[in-house]
Amino acid sequence: MRSPTTAPALRLDGLAKTFGEKIAVDHVELTVPRGSFYGLVGPNGAGKTTALSMAVGLLRPDAGRALVDGVDVWQEPLRARRLMGVLPDGLAMPERLTGRELLTYLGQLHGLSAGEADRRADELLAVMELDGSAERTLVVDYSTGMRKKIGLATALLHAPRLLVLDEPLEAVDPVSAATIKTILKRFVGHGGSVLLSSHVMALVEELCDTVAVMARGRVVAEGPLGAVRGDRSLEETFVGLVGVTVGGGEGLSWLAS
Amino acid sequence: MVGVLIQMKLAVLRHSTTDAKRALNGLGYSAGICLAVATLVLAFLDFSHPRLLMDLLAVTFALWALGWMAGPIFAGEPPLNGEHFHRQPVPRRTLATGLLAAALVAVTTAITLLAFCALVVFAARLSWVAVVVSVPAVVLLLLLVVLLSRVVTLLFRMLSKSRLGGVVTATVTAAMVSLASFSWILVIGVSLLLEYGFPPAFSTVVRALPSSWSLIAVEAAGRGDWAGTAGPLLALAVVVAALFLAWSALLGPQRMDRPVVRGSSARRAARRGPLFQGDQGAIYLKELRTWWRDPVRTQAIVMGPAFAVITALFPLIFGFTAFLPFVGAAGALMAAATCANSYGQDGTALWLTLTVPGKEKADVRARQLAWLTVFGPLTLALTLAGCLLHGDATLVPWALAATLAALGGGSGLLAWVSVTALVPGPDPHKSKNSPMDHGDVTGQSFLMFFLVTLAISPALGVAWAGHALDLPALLWASVPVALLAGVLCHVALGSAAARTLRDKGPELLHLMRSGKPAAAAEETGEEAGTSPFETMSGKHQALMWSAMAVGVLGLFPQGLVPLGIKLSGSPAKVWFLALHVPEPWQWPVIAVMVAIGLAGFWSAYLVYRAAAPSPSSPAPTASPASASSPPTSVTSSPASPGS
Ligand SMILES: Nc1ncnc2c1ncn2[C@@H]1O[C@H](COP(=O)(O)OP(=O)(O)OP(=O)(O)O)[C@@H](O)[C@H]1O
Ligand SMILES: [Mg+2]
Repeated sequence: MRSPTTAPALRLDGLAKTFGEKIAVDHVELTVPRGSFYGLVGPNGAGKTTALSMAVGLLRPDAGRALVDGVDVWQEPLRARRLMGVLPDGLAMPERLTGRELLTYLGQLHGLSAGEADRRADELLAVMELDGSAERTLVVDYSTGMRKKIGLATALLHAPRLLVLDEPLEAVDPVSAATIKTILKRFVGHGGSVLLSSHVMALVEELCDTVAVMARGRVVAEGPLGAVRGDRSLEETFVGLVGVTVGGGEGLSWLAS
Repeated sequence: MVGVLIQMKLAVLRHSTTDAKRALNGLGYSAGICLAVATLVLAFLDFSHPRLLMDLLAVTFALWALGWMAGPIFAGEPPLNGEHFHRQPVPRRTLATGLLAAALVAVTTAITLLAFCALVVFAARLSWVAVVVSVPAVVLLLLLVVLLSRVVTLLFRMLSKSRLGGVVTATVTAAMVSLASFSWILVIGVSLLLEYGFPPAFSTVVRALPSSWSLIAVEAAGRGDWAGTAGPLLALAVVVAALFLAWSALLGPQRMDRPVVRGSSARRAARRGPLFQGDQGAIYLKELRTWWRDPVRTQAIVMGPAFAVITALFPLIFGFTAFLPFVGAAGALMAAATCANSYGQDGTALWLTLTVPGKEKADVRARQLAWLTVFGPLTLALTLAGCLLHGDATLVPWALAATLAALGGGSGLLAWVSVTALVPGPDPHKSKNSPMDHGDVTGQSFLMFFLVTLAISPALGVAWAGHALDLPALLWASVPVALLAGVLCHVALGSAAARTLRDKGPELLHLMRSGKPAAAAEETGEEAGTSPFETMSGKHQALMWSAMAVGVLGLFPQGLVPLGIKLSGSPAKVWFLALHVPEPWQWPVIAVMVAIGLAGFWSAYLVYRAAAPSPSSPAPTASPASASSPPTSVTSSPASPGS
């Protein structure tokens, strides 16, 4: 019997996925240590969304395992789901509910008492600034940033020990972003673990203590932030690792003329 | 521009067609070709009544136009529409021309053109001048139906963004479907027509429709009446031009605001009634709120009952009232047929069900209960009202049994079909401004229609036995039998749906995310266990659907309904074949029809069984189906250089 205290918060063990001819994720190995703030970066189409979907039980892998606190997401889904809070990228919600109705609904499904669910919904809506004038707006009418924020609220609602967030701050305004960053830092400070994907290197450098770089479906570097970037900036390291030169200097002459 | 748009359309079609879709399309096309040939044949026939041929052709053309108008409501928006181009600096008129040309490049258009050639045949029987006139007349007629279809789609799309508009769209659609489904009066009641012709008022109305004007022009040309030829043709050209202008005006970005539905206040959102406790209660409340707030659902609520009521009203013209008690049952049947894409409609919101532990069963049950809450009282009230209006107690047990069985059977089947034959479409927040932009649910609706009909038949069988043996107790026993069948369907199929959801949830989510099922080849062989509808080859699917169609046609309209009428002692013959043959032959004909119907269902089941990979011996049965699919299903990913 594996001792739950020693298992990492999340471990991806040889996860792989092929769509038709396209190898989207190629036997990815990742370990998110307990209590770490983990950043996953990579160019568009690197396979981040696909890998995270497989890690949280939303996309069945062709091979490999995903373990949350030592619990296999695909073997014991019920136990694993309780431990995770998930924010997928660009998926729908129960659209014809208001933010509060949605949180109340999910609180009930997560087995929270009515009082507790209401209290959490109240606080989350206030923090995400989705109350007040937006109180009676249905999710279907939310803006892109508001959708991200209500998604984050649903991920936090049941107080999981691990958060898996796909591009959590994309399209979120700076004030809300600062609030959310504070929340996430506090969450990690109290022993929680976060795995997030992002394209914003500055954000990853600011928040994360551990990073992984994905390119063409593989993890090309993984480790503590300092070790991965060395004495360069993360952005330079990223460009170096991904193995492309920065374009835009030539071509498109018709645009500049 | 025109060439580019035509190429684009072909590329879109090439990339979005799956095997199953192709089979369904194939079936639709074959049916269309049959109808077109029937229209052509009609033009060759001789009738004793001189005006009858023209009347018949006019009605047929009007039906084709109706089909073009109602089609997109089920099939979703055409592959290319104005929205796709509203950021491009293309003048609307040019865009409209291009889109019209692209719309004309379609199998459906070709089939319709074939049908409209009936006009040329008709002209050839008059004079060669009439033939010359008939060519532009056919072209104008074709343009008329295509443009009508596009303009109606755009209007519906604008309307159905609001709940009130949803009611209007649903009612109009129900009327169109109901009208079109009465076209079989023509086929089966043709002997009556031959004797008496159409009532004069009816011909006048039909001939006033723009779809008849080219016919009138051709007929006038045959008589050498030049004013009578030019007038209708010009008028038709004006209508076509007006439709074209209206269409290009409507094509641009939508200027009409979408009415925004507001949710409940903070205080009310937090309140939980006693009905809404527990997992199932929470989901049930969510579903009810969705039914109340979503214009697409409003449309679904109105469609079934409106169809039933309108269908009951038409036969009243012939003084036939025996359908009235069944209005509730028909409403429930139609409601089940149009609401079976519950998960598909919610799109990728399924991810929440997959990340909350173990709520699949509650989810399915809550959806079933919400559907029953919406349609149960409504259809039972319709049944009651229908029985009261009809006033004859003999049909009450039949009507009650049919309604209960349709409700219970419907609630079970729609849960099951919504997970096993899910039709993916755009996510609701992406299509909030274009509610007509959904997956093609025609096949799913037909499937539901057949299956619910099947679920009703045991109860009606008991009723029939009771009637035949003259045992009122047995006749009334059909009601508890219906209730039992309904409860069984509801419970068993609901559980089956929950199991599928639990086992295949990620696959369903993937289907909705990418719009197509995970290719059979990349699944690890037979373990995939996808629904046989996906693995079945095109030929098998076509075969199964045709068998199913034969089954329903035989069993329901030509078997059980005339049986009911005969039993009710009504003298009405209406359009049922069995009632038009001499008395001693009526029972045998009904029996043969029922037998044909059952045989149809049985062979459909056999085809299904043969194509479904059986769990015990996966290799031999699975290989023919999967061997035929990879070449087609792989077409999706590599970018085609042609486009
Ligand atoms: N459903 C699908 N069908 C086919 N190919 C897919 C599907 N989903 C993703 N892919 C392909 O898999 C690859 C990885 O996609 P993924 O969305 O995981 O990338 P990503 O790293 O999240 O990119 P981004 O940074 O743009 O979000 C891409 O090449 C994409 O085209
Ligand atoms: Mg992504």
